[in-house]
Amino acid sequence: MIENLILFQIIVSLFLGGAILGLISRNGRFSRPLIFIPSMMGAILTILFSVTVITTKSMSWEVPHVIPFFNLEIFVDGISAFFMLLIGIVSFAVSLYSMGYSKEYEIKKRISIFGFLFNIFILSMILVVGSNNGFFFLMFWELMSLTSFFLVIYDHDKEENVKSGMTYLVMTHFGTALIFVSFLLGYLQTGSFGFDSLRTSSSSFPHLIKDLMFVSAFIGFGTKAGIVPLHTWLPKAHPSAPSNVSALMSAVMIKMGIYGIIRTVFDFAGFGASPDYAWWGVLMVIAGSASALIGILYAVVERDIKRALAFSSIENIGIILIGLGLSVIFASYNLHTLSILALVASMYHTINHAFFKGLLFMGAGSVVHATHTKDIEKLGGLVKQMPWTSMLFLIGAISIAGLPPFNGFVSEWLGLQAILSSSQIPSTILQISIAFASLPFALTIGLAAATFVRLFSMIFLSKTRGTSLLHIREVPRNMIAGMAILASVCILFGIVPFLGISLLSTVFHLSSSPSSPYDAIALKNNDMTSFANLSMPVVAIMLSAVALGIFGFIRVVGGKTTKTIYGTWDCGFGKLNERMEYTATSISQPIRVVFKSLFKPHNETHKEFSIPENSYLVKTIKFNSTTKNIFEENLYTPIISSTLFLLDKVRKIQTGKINSYLLYIMITIILLLIFVRFNHA
Amino acid sequence: MPSFLEITLGIIQALMLMALSPLMTGIMRKTKAKTQKRMGAGIFQPYYDMVKLMRKDEVVSDQSSWIFRSTPWVNFAAIGTAAFFIPVFLSYSPFGLVGDLLLVVGLFGLARFFTMLAGLDTSSAFGGIGSSREMMVSTLLEPALFLAIFVVALTYGGTNLSTLVEGASNSSLLPHPQLIFAAIAMFVVILGETGRLPFGNHATHLELTMMHEAMVLEYSGKSLALIDWAQSIKQVILFSLIVNIFTPWGIASSVSAISLGLGLVIFIVKISVFAIFVAFLESSIAKWRLFRIPDLITVAIASSLVGLVLYYL
Amino acid sequence: MGMIQFDVLTISGAILLIATFGVIARRGFMDWLNAYRLQSIVLAVVTAIIGYVTGIWEIYIAAGLTFVIKSLVIPKVLTHVTKSLEIESKTDFNPYLSLRASIIVSAFLVTMSYFLSQQIPFKSDPVVNVFLPVSMAQFFLGLFALVNRRTALSQVVGLLVIENGLFLFTLVLTHGVSLIIEVGIFADILVGIVISSILLFRMSRTFDSLDVDRLENLRDD
Repeated sequence: MIENLILFQIIVSLFLGGAILGLISRNGRFSRPLIFIPSMMGAILTILFSVTVITTKSMSWEVPHVIPFFNLEIFVDGISAFFMLLIGIVSFAVSLYSMGYSKEYEIKKRISIFGFLFNIFILSMILVVGSNNGFFFLMFWELMSLTSFFLVIYDHDKEENVKSGMTYLVMTHFGTALIFVSFLLGYLQTGSFGFDSLRTSSSSFPHLIKDLMFVSAFIGFGTKAGIVPLHTWLPKAHPSAPSNVSALMSAVMIKMGIYGIIRTVFDFAGFGASPDYAWWGVLMVIAGSASALIGILYAVVERDIKRALAFSSIENIGIILIGLGLSVIFASYNLHTLSILALVASMYHTINHAFFKGLLFMGAGSVVHATHTKDIEKLGGLVKQMPWTSMLFLIGAISIAGLPPFNGFVSEWLGLQAILSSSQIPSTILQISIAFASLPFALTIGLAAATFVRLFSMIFLSKTRGTSLLHIREVPRNMIAGMAILASVCILFGIVPFLGISLLSTVFHLSSSPSSPYDAIALKNNDMTSFANLSMPVVAIMLSAVALGIFGFIRVVGGKTTKTIYGTWDCGFGKLNERMEYTATSISQPIRVVFKSLFKPHNETHKEFSIPENSYLVKTIKFNSTTKNIFEENLYTPIISSTLFLLDKVRKIQTGKINSYLLYIMITIILLLIFVRFNHA
Repeated sequence: MPSFLEITLGIIQALMLMALSPLMTGIMRKTKAKTQKRMGAGIFQPYYDMVKLMRKDEVVSDQSSWIFRSTPWVNFAAIGTAAFFIPVFLSYSPFGLVGDLLLVVGLFGLARFFTMLAGLDTSSAFGGIGSSREMMVSTLLEPALFLAIFVVALTYGGTNLSTLVEGASNSSLLPHPQLIFAAIAMFVVILGETGRLPFGNHATHLELTMMHEAMVLEYSGKSLALIDWAQSIKQVILFSLIVNIFTPWGIASSVSAISLGLGLVIFIVKISVFAIFVAFLESSIAKWRLFRIPDLITVAIASSLVGLVLYYL
Repeated sequence: MGMIQFDVLTISGAILLIATFGVIARRGFMDWLNAYRLQSIVLAVVTAIIGYVTGIWEIYIAAGLTFVIKSLVIPKVLTHVTKSLEIESKTDFNPYLSLRASIIVSAFLVTMSYFLSQQIPFKSDPVVNVFLPVSMAQFFLGLFALVNRRTALSQVVGLLVIENGLFLFTLVLTHGVSLIIEVGIFADILVGIVISSILLFRMSRTFDSLDVDRLENLRDD
């Protein structure tokens, strides 16, 4: 207990130390080690700390009256420790990666500010999951939002980045306001911002209050998590931030939204096992399905690597939410086992997404680092120049596409099984609607594979489409090491799901946990026949056995043959060049056509003829295809323009005249005095 | 833990599927030739082709990378592994303890993922065409397939293939009208997954009709043999799934020489009949325009959804 | 406490109010300054009376300080710093409300102060009873002068009137228990005057005017 506390304090001081060292190192020779070594050490200790908390018992720490009336309460239970574990692992890998990645900032910019923000950002996330008091939760939450905002606009010489930073800032404060509303509702009921009092008394709140608390917290946290239609900041902020920061933001920061939703539902808002609460889950499933499908549909046509990854984060958050929502629905009908199944699916996907999205963003960062472009139309052929990066990116891509034997498959399998189990809900309407919800879920999985085939092949395969490959080198070793850590965790959690599942069952105090790594995940029917089984270690063994077997068979039957390297078949016409290749736009064209109602693609063709009268002899032809973002156009633009209109009216208050400000003061004082006067009488 | 005998039988089933798969391709080609008033090659021709290819030297594109080279192996390993989970003539497979129908779909996905990458790796526009179309079709097939699985799994209580096939063999189809709708959906999905008409045409190498062939156009020698073989294994897996789930009569549910033998014979007959039926169907329809294919898949999805509603009501 | 005392209090309070009105009802800077000087002298007298009534000797010191600083030093400083300014910037030709309207508003504000101070306790104390509304009225009138006037100089005077009101307010409520604080406030107001005169110089140099409306240009549009 005491040791845990000391460990926690060391972690906090390490990150603070990294921040301060970053500031005082002032871009010197040792500034990178000074910034990132403390954060790496802090991350390792965070892993250690969370593992001890998970395996032994929870830690609490209270510092009275840090701010008048408010005690700083830190309470780390299993759930908090679980999220801290994710933060620890990802930020360790990212810090290692940043040692190499941020070298270019040393020349261009002030790395010391970056280091300060980076360390504080990680620390604020740790404190968010650790805080046990609404007031401090919001304070750390705000700290997290602000540091990430400054990191997003770190490259502020590009106006685009500042703009996306502003979008982020506005959206995140919208979310914070709603979270505050939720806490305030709890405060009005209990008279305290402490989470403990919420825990103990929330079940006796009026039903309406619970619903309101849930809805406002869901929208508030959902904004941070990036659920559709509150996602608009995500595809803007992630590409603008430096890649190591986007890795952190996408891998862990948006999970803080999930953390908040879990806490609210199961801890604060007084969820009870009664069908009255089923609609919470339904809301989550609907939001999740919409996020998953719409996120991935935008990802599959996106040209900017990092924006595509950001859209895919929206998709994954959607999948996590579907699982969480199913868990809530099951729990509200008192189907305990199924609720656990769905919760495990959702949380397993949370783990997975943290790892592979961190990996992919770092991979994208390496590509940007080497080529200085984010546009996949200009990339290609990097697999030969950057063998390690491409290998690791491929692992991330397969994982996120949900293919065996990598980790994404396990969680998606569990998710599908949870959907299948919806047949046990005693409500026909819910049964049928959840079955229909499996449609977007399955479509999402298919589209995710397509997205990552397209991304990987456009970046790494065939000939380059624009950037010269001559000067492109593999990224430094510490960057590769950072990616390799997450890649190996991806493989580990894919082949040995035992790890993840036993972790989750300890964290969430689940009754049924697998006893040995070789145990299959077994789902049983009521009559004890097997519903489904999955044993990933055996699958991995079988895959390699079949590969070995067929290798032997082919050698025996076919004998020894040679391989000749020769040009790609060009139909006998002569040299193929890169302009004949499929481009990123053309490869996603069929999908764009199929889902044209969403994308509203706009195609423009410009032809120039050799002889102006003769439209058969075409000299040049230019084709441009753009897709629209229907959310921006149909939802946000009207809201923004009407808000601006309103604010323009409100602005009249700001005359700039001293006299009017003084008048405001005077009116306020008089009104206050009148108020007091009448209150007394 | 399943007994040694069961494991052996399971492995034999999988090897059977692998060995049988070129034969099905041969039968289908022969049928198509006959319906088109051609003689056609013998039904064992795919075996000869495969052995011939295995002995040939390969030409590898200078643009390609290790992805291109490793794809045939990954492809075969994934599809070959999937074969182990399929009950063929025995109503259960001991590998049901390892994986289920969703894993089979996942393994197909893995194979497809690499095939699509390989198609794009050679910087040939044909590969691009193939991968791009495959991307669209497979994306849309995914929900159709899953919904069909949904109906079947709910009806028979599990995505575990042994549970499924056992459940099917113990019940008659009549009390389960939803299965008819699921079967329609599954049939469309199988046509799409195997790239049969109206989705694609195996018989030509015309860029208008190619899907799978376009992706693997650059392969030769051993790699091509592997890819072709894997493709026909996938086809047989899907055929035996539909045959064993929707027409489960005659499958052996106990381990005895007679029932096993009978099961094997019945299985071969059933699957051949199914293959001939598909080949007939292919001869009688034309390839659809690419952007009409989603309509067909939508029909499959709708059919599964009707099946689901029927199940719940 | 006799009737005479109470009368003295009431009369001095009325005189103080009238002196405050003087600041509102005049146009030129020197007039205000004179009005302010007058008001400060009255305030000093009032302070002394309060000191006599309550019998606390520190209040005499405060009265002396008020007299010295507010009616001698501050007007001196302000006349000195405004010597170089042109006569136009010393006169407020164009307040937002006309003189007549301002007086009506001021009357209204005074009424309101009496109304608002009704609920404050210690009603039995005649000092509080008489001077609390007066001090609030002073405060509001000063604030009103700030709001209504356009030139920076007249706003300085408004600020000084507010300060006088606050001084009286604290004095009435605390009976001058803390001389140190009073002295602090005096020092504060002196420094404030010095700073505002520096600002006035800068402003007249930047805008060629002391019209605070010119500050509007600083707004981000």
